[in-house]
Amino acid sequence: MRKIIISSIAALAMSTAAFAEVKVGNPMALTGPIPDLVAPMAKAVDLAAKNVNDQGGLFAGGEKYTVVRADSGCDPVAAVDAVTKLINISLVSAIIGPVCSGATIAQAESVSIPAGVVTLSVSASSPAITSMEKNTDLVFRAAASDAYQGIALAELTLGKGIKEIAVSYANDDYNAALAAVFAESFASMGGKVTANEAHEPSKASYRSEVATLGAGSDSLALFAYYGSGGITVMRNALETSAFKNFIGADGMLSDEVIKQLGAENLTNVTFTTSASDSGTAAYGAWKALADAAGVPASDPFVPNSYDATFMMALAIEKAGSGDRDKIAGALRSIANAPGEIILPGEFAKAKKILAGGGDIHYMGAAGPQDFDKNGDVAGSFSKSVVKDGAWSAELIK
Amino acid sequence: MWTSFGFEFVNFYLIPGLVLGCIYALGAIGITLTFGILRFANFAHGEVMMTGAYLTWTISTLAGSLLGWALHPLIAAIPAVLAAIGILILIDRYFYKPFRDAPTIMVVMASFGMMLVVRSTVQFIWGPNQLTFVKGIDRPNEAVRQFTADFDMMLLVPNKHFWIMAGTIIIMLGFTYLLERTRIGKAMRAVSDSPDLASVTGIDVEAVVRATWIVGGFCAVAAGVFLAMDIQFLETTMGFRMLLPMFAAAILGGIGRPFGAVFGGLIIGLAEELSAYPWIGDAPLISPGYKTGVAFSIMIIMLIVRPSGLFKGRTF
Repeated sequence: MRKIIISSIAALAMSTAAFAEVKVGNPMALTGPIPDLVAPMAKAVDLAAKNVNDQGGLFAGGEKYTVVRADSGCDPVAAVDAVTKLINISLVSAIIGPVCSGATIAQAESVSIPAGVVTLSVSASSPAITSMEKNTDLVFRAAASDAYQGIALAELTLGKGIKEIAVSYANDDYNAALAAVFAESFASMGGKVTANEAHEPSKASYRSEVATLGAGSDSLALFAYYGSGGITVMRNALETSAFKNFIGADGMLSDEVIKQLGAENLTNVTFTTSASDSGTAAYGAWKALADAAGVPASDPFVPNSYDATFMMALAIEKAGSGDRDKIAGALRSIANAPGEIILPGEFAKAKKILAGGGDIHYMGAAGPQDFDKNGDVAGSFSKSVVKDGAWSAELIK
Repeated sequence: MWTSFGFEFVNFYLIPGLVLGCIYALGAIGITLTFGILRFANFAHGEVMMTGAYLTWTISTLAGSLLGWALHPLIAAIPAVLAAIGILILIDRYFYKPFRDAPTIMVVMASFGMMLVVRSTVQFIWGPNQLTFVKGIDRPNEAVRQFTADFDMMLLVPNKHFWIMAGTIIIMLGFTYLLERTRIGKAMRAVSDSPDLASVTGIDVEAVVRATWIVGGFCAVAAGVFLAMDIQFLETTMGFRMLLPMFAAAILGGIGRPFGAVFGGLIIGLAEELSAYPWIGDAPLISPGYKTGVAFSIMIIMLIVRPSGLFKGRTF
């Protein structure tokens, strides 16, 4: 009996080895403070991989493009653990993900950069990522830095006629950096920041924080994740009527906020997020693909997740193998000009051009994904308010 | 904008501190009892709180969808307490009992494992997303606000806080009666003081162990439900996040001293909230980002100055 089991396992192992594939690692924050936001992002990653495989897979031999998913939990420790396994055990060619900035920075510094593996984050937006690399070119992202979002948010706040505001941010890489950019731009544009305090995530009560902050202003700029304290801060602020107006960013833009607090209490709330210009041809192509597959096309970072996965496939195709060393250069080549324009989903077309020795230039669903020297991309933003019990987004021009 | 209230210290620092203290106190009772009677630090205690809150949510949701009853969380908590105690006794029977004579460190590690098992099971059944416990905003009780405003001491207390404080007081009175007046309560105190002596005098130690899980589990589920009533949502790490302050409360009060745990819980809860009050000038005395640090500083100072805790608990 034992022999049969062993030989069948061996046969199974051999059959998978014979089936050629290129693996990429995909750590995503499936658990942790923002699972609702991440679920559609993971679907977009799967959709991109499916598109690639449906159109003949990678290289002349049609090798399978396999996404190996892991849970990075929006947590630096969990991300380091997950990525270590992906790189050393699953032997992936590159990393697509992690979602959160803290997780991305931690795994890049302690795992992927030392191992010489490219990280292409789907949504990490902390300004700290721009300058984190010294002599390497391994960290890229398909989402715009919050250095831009902070400025957009400050303009939006002043545009709403709010001249004085209190700032409260969760003590992590993403929220602290965004709060700092916001406070600086708001002050330089003539606004007044009445208080600027960190709060510790995931506490049961923020009433004392809210009381101290509320002494100077009735508007609050809140930078937090909805699932680790953000909703509680808003609840405590509303319970005590400490604040009337709320502004914030990506981490708070979830249906959970409406579900838990009730739309009737959220009349003066505006959250911004990274968004796509729905007028472009690339977005049109993406929307058709996403609608057909039942993926919410315009949810935060969902197009970015598709772009990252699709660009990684193009880069591996360009590099000609899953060789880790060649991916960074290939990624820059396929994402930036010059070259023939490739829209989301056009893998077969890109493959043909690359096979003929031509150049391609991918136009992303989320916007042009042209990497600058730091591996960052530019982006546009949208503002969302509650309308008829749901978030309603509008692009900021 | 606070000038119109005048009573901000009480409303925004003292009462929230007391509410948090009540939750810590109930949780710390279970910790100090398992520490005193079973002699190990039970890391899975926070998960009992969390599981109790999830069970309560399930029962009130089922009652709402099947029977159309809108149960108050405190009513739905009654069957949830029974279910959670049943689970605890089963866990003790099949998981902790084989460890009864093992070195403490093994049981502590085992309880750590149990914590992860319970949390994963809950995530498996209910999913990793947050669940809404009570929807909407619970604004301060209007009658109390009007009444106290007449005396220039406007109290802003939402109804949920009255429930939490009243519930804690009732549970504490029942608990005092149990420990001081009943046979099993006296047996529990005896085992806590000296298990060998207790078993020589004919006390059924296994019965005391069961009673410990029942009382500890009851208080933990109450703490979990009160916590869920306060924050109004559920997530799988809600109990774990309370665990360390509850340990601090148990140590502060003295290990094996249930009343010490209650006292410690209130002190830790108040210290966390009051440390952020602008005692000097306009800025918070200590940035609220370091609230948890305040709780632990108190615990560490206590361990150095008076290792037996306020109520002369066990030292190790």
